[in-house]
Amino acid sequence: MTLLETLVPFPVVLPLAVAAVVLAAGERLPRHVPEALGIAAALAVAALSAVLAHGALGSTPVYWFGGWVPRPGVTLGIAFAPDPASAGIAAFTGLLFAAALVFAWGFFDEVRSVFNVLMLLFLAAMQGFCLTRDMFNLFVWFEVMSVVAYALTGFSLRTASLAGALNFTVINSLGSTLMLAGIGLVYARTGALDFEAVRTAVDRMGDDPVVIAGFCLVSAALLTKGAILPFQFWLADAHAVAPSPVSVIFSGIMVPIGLFGYAKIRLQIFPGSPDAMDILYRLVLGIGCATAVFGGLLAWSQRHLKRLLAFSTISHVGIMLTGVAAVAPVGLAGFLAYVVGHGLVKGTLFMLVGILLAEKASVDELDLRGLGRDIWPAGVATAVAALLLGGAPVGILHGGAHLIDAAAPPGPAGWVVRLAALLGTVLTGGAVLRFAGRIYLGLGADPGDEAHAPTDQEREKAGRPLWLMLAPCVVLLAIDLLTPAGVVEGLAARVVPQFGVVGPAVDLPQPAAWGLLMPWLALGGVLLVATLALSGDRLPRQLPRVQASVLTPFFAGLNRLHTGVVNDYVVWFAVGIALFAGWAAL
Amino acid sequence: MSVLPWVVAAWLFGAGVYGIVTSRNYVHLIGCLTVCQSAVYVLLLGLGYVQGSGPPIFYDHPPGTAAVDPVVQALVLTDIVVGAVVSALLLALAVQVHKRQGTLDPQEIKPLQGQ
Repeated sequence: MTLLETLVPFPVVLPLAVAAVVLAAGERLPRHVPEALGIAAALAVAALSAVLAHGALGSTPVYWFGGWVPRPGVTLGIAFAPDPASAGIAAFTGLLFAAALVFAWGFFDEVRSVFNVLMLLFLAAMQGFCLTRDMFNLFVWFEVMSVVAYALTGFSLRTASLAGALNFTVINSLGSTLMLAGIGLVYARTGALDFEAVRTAVDRMGDDPVVIAGFCLVSAALLTKGAILPFQFWLADAHAVAPSPVSVIFSGIMVPIGLFGYAKIRLQIFPGSPDAMDILYRLVLGIGCATAVFGGLLAWSQRHLKRLLAFSTISHVGIMLTGVAAVAPVGLAGFLAYVVGHGLVKGTLFMLVGILLAEKASVDELDLRGLGRDIWPAGVATAVAALLLGGAPVGILHGGAHLIDAAAPPGPAGWVVRLAALLGTVLTGGAVLRFAGRIYLGLGADPGDEAHAPTDQEREKAGRPLWLMLAPCVVLLAIDLLTPAGVVEGLAARVVPQFGVVGPAVDLPQPAAWGLLMPWLALGGVLLVATLALSGDRLPRQLPRVQASVLTPFFAGLNRLHTGVVNDYVVWFAVGIALFAGWAAL
Repeated sequence: MSVLPWVVAAWLFGAGVYGIVTSRNYVHLIGCLTVCQSAVYVLLLGLGYVQGSGPPIFYDHPPGTAAVDPVVQALVLTDIVVGAVVSALLLALAVQVHKRQGTLDPQEIKPLQGQ
């Protein structure tokens, strides 16, 4: 066994071991030692996974646990197989956790080590999820990840966070149940759980209704975690009420990793089944577009900042899904880059809102109007993040968006996809720029009585040093901003063939008029909508009337769908499953 | 494999989802979620069943004796553990909500509202 292969299980083993030590030592450790250990472990995991990703370029190492290597025809063991893309995403996860833990320094003084133990468990589960190549093992990591996430959501034990955690848990465990059923169906037909063994069997069988049903069920579960319409209802409730450092992880990586899992099983297990590849293609592309627009509209209509960011995440996973669904492998390369870029920017934004919660004890846009002047560095960071989110043509996020754009199908369908991505980008970037202008510059009309937030009082641990909370924001933004888009595109294109197992080489798009125009169009749109929203009284008289008669009822209707009642969400979930089943059956 | 396990699994799952959708009490709702999980266990055990064969224990049987598939049983066993964790966590959350709000009705336990 080579050194590289020996290293494969350590991104999972290391955080688990550190978590066990912290838990065992408990309160005997000096103050801040559990936090320092957590940050060190997260950085070490990032480094380990990065080494794996680099070493795996060319040929993917495989590590069989307990030495259970497959014999001819029989695969009983469970393996980790870190291809460069998977290990790369795992490395990014470690980095994001390190940033979130630095941001959370001193946040949880009362509960001390428990928070750090949960975060390390969360990190280990995500590493396992990225690296495994066994369907049931994938499910187990998925479940560990989910259970930790449920606990972290309700962590503060406020009424709203308990309600959010309940909604999150019910919807997602229903999804996990379906995933297990799907895995059972695939196993029943193929007699294997190892990705490669299942793929060989699927290749032999071609289209088999039971295998397709299994694929649909597993997909539905992963798309629930990925917050895709109509499975997305849990997300806004959970993200809005979780502690800020947890929201960073949720939006930055936990939700996109659901789509990553979907891309992985689709490409590593089912490429031999034309139905699994094609039946869902149109459906998934369509719901990706719908999700991008829907999330954007809802993000625009929020005044609760964490809910606003949560809906913007829904919009962005919609854009990501169009990249995953695309037939051209360049879409997949775009997806991988987009996950990293989006995670960096969205993680930063949740930290910046966390700073408002700590310093100003509110997350209400109108309530906070003009109050952010004394913490202007946070305002600068928010504005930069808003422009990056709104499609500014620099950095990793732009590289991803550019490749996803190039993967749009030919003909009118392609323009629908492009328009949806443009709308989502403009609305989410515009919404963030709008609240940055209002809070840090005091722009916009005086809200008067409306300023009092309709939500309950919120506050997060105050008195933490501002520079310590800003440092991870600056680092993450700098990584996104300073990495040239061209380098990212080249790297993403290089790792995709190995990720897709049989995938052909990726053709990077030629500079086209649209590809060059799109970011500027998006940026212009962002500036336009933010200016319109903040210019208040100075608008021509017709605009407020349109606002009152058309837009307000429209947004109210969209928001009314999010009742917060779990019964309704399960109905939507069932509708989504029926949609998948109906589409696959036809 | 007969069609019966499929029917039972589908029936149980449908009944569980119906229960969740109509439930007005979180403890009841969590029970219904467990019913949905049980539906999957029935399905899995049905998939691994082999007509006329014994349990997958070869202690006093010669190797090669027909046995039901042990892999699905391992899957079910693992998921029972996970399911128990999820149920326990949900019930703990429900207890905490009840302490604060005095109700277990999902219609009255709402997180933040939009706008």
